Amino acid sequence: MELRLSPEELRILEGMRLAPRRVFRGGVRGERLTKQKGLSIEFADHRDYAEGDDLRHLDWNALARLQTPLIKTYQDEEDLAVYLLVDRSASMEFGEPTKRVVATRLALAFGYIALLGQDAAIPGTLPLDPAGLKPLRGRAGYPRLLKWAELELAKPATSKGLAPSLKDFAASGNRPGVAIVISDGLDPDAETQFRVLGGRGHEVWWVQVLSPEEIDPDLEGDLRLLDAETGAAVDVTANSFALKAYKENLKAHNERLSEAVRRVGGRSMLFVTNDSMAAWLRGPGKRAGWAA
Amino acid sequence: MSWANLAGLLWFLPLGALIVALYLLKMRRRDVKVPAKFLWPERVDEVRANSLFQKLKPSWLLFLQLLALLMIVFAFARPQFLERALGGSVTVLVLDSSASMQATDVAPTRMGAAIAQIDRLLANAKPGDRVALVEAGPTPRVLASLSDDPAKLRRALEKARPTDAEADVGEALRLAAGITRKERSARILLFSDGAFAPIEDFQPGTAELAFVQIGDSGRNVGIAGFGVTGGQAFVGIKNYGLDEATGTASLFADGKLIDSWAWKAGADQTVGRTIPRVKGQRFEAKLQTGDHLKADDQATALSDEGARIRALLVSRGNLFLERALSLDPRVELEKTTSVPTTGAWDLIVYDGIPEADLSARAVLTFGAPGPTSAVRRVGSVKEPSTGEVEGDPLTKGVNFRGVYIDSGTAVEPKSGAKTVAWMRGSGKNYPLVVTSRTGGVRRAFVAFEPLKSDFPLQVGFPVFVGNALNELLPPLSSLQDLPIVPGRTISLPATKSEPMTLKGPQGESVLTPNRGVFVIRDAVRVGTYTFGDRKLFATLRSPIESKILPSDRLQVAGKAVEPAANLARLSDLWVWIAILGLLVLGVEWWMFARRS
Repeated sequence: MELRLSPEELRILEGMRLAPRRVFRGGVRGERLTKQKGLSIEFADHRDYAEGDDLRHLDWNALARLQTPLIKTYQDEEDLAVYLLVDRSASMEFGEPTKRVVATRLALAFGYIALLGQDAAIPGTLPLDPAGLKPLRGRAGYPRLLKWAELELAKPATSKGLAPSLKDFAASGNRPGVAIVISDGLDPDAETQFRVLGGRGHEVWWVQVLSPEEIDPDLEGDLRLLDAETGAAVDVTANSFALKAYKENLKAHNERLSEAVRRVGGRSMLFVTNDSMAAWLRGPGKRAGWAA
Repeated sequence: MSWANLAGLLWFLPLGALIVALYLLKMRRRDVKVPAKFLWPERVDEVRANSLFQKLKPSWLLFLQLLALLMIVFAFARPQFLERALGGSVTVLVLDSSASMQATDVAPTRMGAAIAQIDRLLANAKPGDRVALVEAGPTPRVLASLSDDPAKLRRALEKARPTDAEADVGEALRLAAGITRKERSARILLFSDGAFAPIEDFQPGTAELAFVQIGDSGRNVGIAGFGVTGGQAFVGIKNYGLDEATGTASLFADGKLIDSWAWKAGADQTVGRTIPRVKGQRFEAKLQTGDHLKADDQATALSDEGARIRALLVSRGNLFLERALSLDPRVELEKTTSVPTTGAWDLIVYDGIPEADLSARAVLTFGAPGPTSAVRRVGSVKEPSTGEVEGDPLTKGVNFRGVYIDSGTAVEPKSGAKTVAWMRGSGKNYPLVVTSRTGGVRRAFVAFEPLKSDFPLQVGFPVFVGNALNELLPPLSSLQDLPIVPGRTISLPATKSEPMTLKGPQGESVLTPNRGVFVIRDAVRVGTYTFGDRKLFATLRSPIESKILPSDRLQVAGKAVEPAANLARLSDLWVWIAILGLLVLGVEWWMFARRS
């Protein structure tokens, strides 16, 4: 699968804007309203109007002259920190295409929306790169985001699970923002770390990426199942009883994680690797309020 | 239960061990990498093995496989059980319905028990079993001809009727043998207690005769003798059982109790009592005792002397004559093959044996005149022609014309004798039937022996014998009430040609007269019958039937008939067990498929 987003996907993304539930304190100018009161408002620039923009900032004069809706931006508007956290654990190497590829493309998509929205797109992986996180801003940041994606995808998967990686991120002291965790969530301890992450002021968005084979495994016979990350083994006779129990366990695990995310004010959604990203963004993603 | 191949059970040991050994084999599992182990249940349902060895674990599959193997080995060992069933493709079931079969030592009666056994046999009949039913009553009859329809046979079995009469089992067996004559192999099963007259003449042909004994007790007391003569009554009570018996007896005259007494009789002992100075027309004796047969516990006697004819048949054997004489209900027939030296009878019938000087009220002689006869022998005539008949009551309704006589006796009548029919041979006429009355004795002479002619096969033969009884002795029509023997076919003169109803213990039947006589065959139960103005009193007096102790071994025509112990046949169970085993294997396969 091509890592780069297709023109069609980019066109869809250009009309979208991330819609966090909370308001965050920004670092540099941006388009998000700040919680801080009494600051002077200084015009900084124009940008194209996007659906959902505050009409109070529409430049009516420019609209009358150019017949084009333009939004005025101001120096003291704050930007939104959007963390793009792609799970790089070994379990993400399953599926065709692999969940990791799909997760990276999703990170590109969310990052592109953030960049167009003048938000700070901060790409990273789980576990975190020792080099740290560097924010990207503006449309011009997309090529660098793409470069980052290509470099990260070339790195091997790690045996470190999702939960310790999330723990590390939560403890890293990054300013609060929207933490988009793109992962399969297949870690029994992830539930706790989602709560910790929310507790640190981040709005947790969890995109669960699963392959069809994980939702409905095509296994048969007497097997010894080896965990991709820990290497631990379990003897299983893959019959209807075992498959039924697996599906029930997966459903219960997913519901636990989703509930943990919801409880810290976040949101979660399932993305199956054979789903169309364009359709997903236009449909379920938009309906769930992830992007306006 | 028995086993046709008991050693086959031993196969269970090696085969069972082999199955268990297969379960000792260890599974070599295929490694598969999965994203998350923790989602998978640790569920091990091992259905295959490809490595050595492991500890034996409980498994439903192992249990079902051993169970299936056990059943298949059981089937291989061919278990069999005894089943009451028909033993051949063709079977004739002969049911004794005589008086002794009404004994209640087995519930409800011996006959009822026999019917129940037959019913079970019919229910167990296999497809292809052909069965016929014959009722051995006083007159044997085929209840159902050979059929492979059990429902039809069971319906026919319901027509069997109990009697208080002697059964002609010999004739019933001959009837059964006739049914099986054309079969390559057949079986005749006689359901009886063995209480019947000895059978001298029986050829089973290709059929095998077996005997199913019914009954288990011989406890019976009966009225062996009862008569009223000269104003005194005699009652003889016989204990036919093996143990001493006690009870009371009562004597009734015209329905009124005139005497009652207690009696005690040892095994096979007869106790008698004479009651003097009795008055009345109809006398009844009744026993109160706890025996198993009620039919012989009562008897009826009439004071009218003419109601009873003591007849002696002197013959080398003539069934036709016996039957013809027995048609008269008054006749109590004795038979002998040689002339007795002393004795007194109402009637003596000489059949081919010269008449002797014995005390009798009437004499009927066939073929061989004696010194006291109404004729004198002058020679013999070969194949005489017949036809000349004088108008005489003796020959009324009898047509001698056309009767074939192989050889007759040429006689000439003595003085006072009257020739009522003629025959012609060697160019001369000779008397055929001659009557006389000398010294208070009425005589009739017939110039040929019945068995040397076809006269017994003619309708006129019983008519002629009946005429002779009425002419030589007081006529039957003069009597209003008659004692009869149950089951015996009797004829009564018809005064008019309309049908009449016979009412008796077993119901009503309408009889139509034929040639001036009513033939009664339906009086088979003990009791009082009403026929027009007449009353018929049926009394069982048969030592054969009263001796109800069942015989465990029969002699038929000089050959021992074994009890049908092998009436039960071995029925194989292996098919059902094998099917069950396959079903278990099916369940095992289903479980295997689910787990796989």
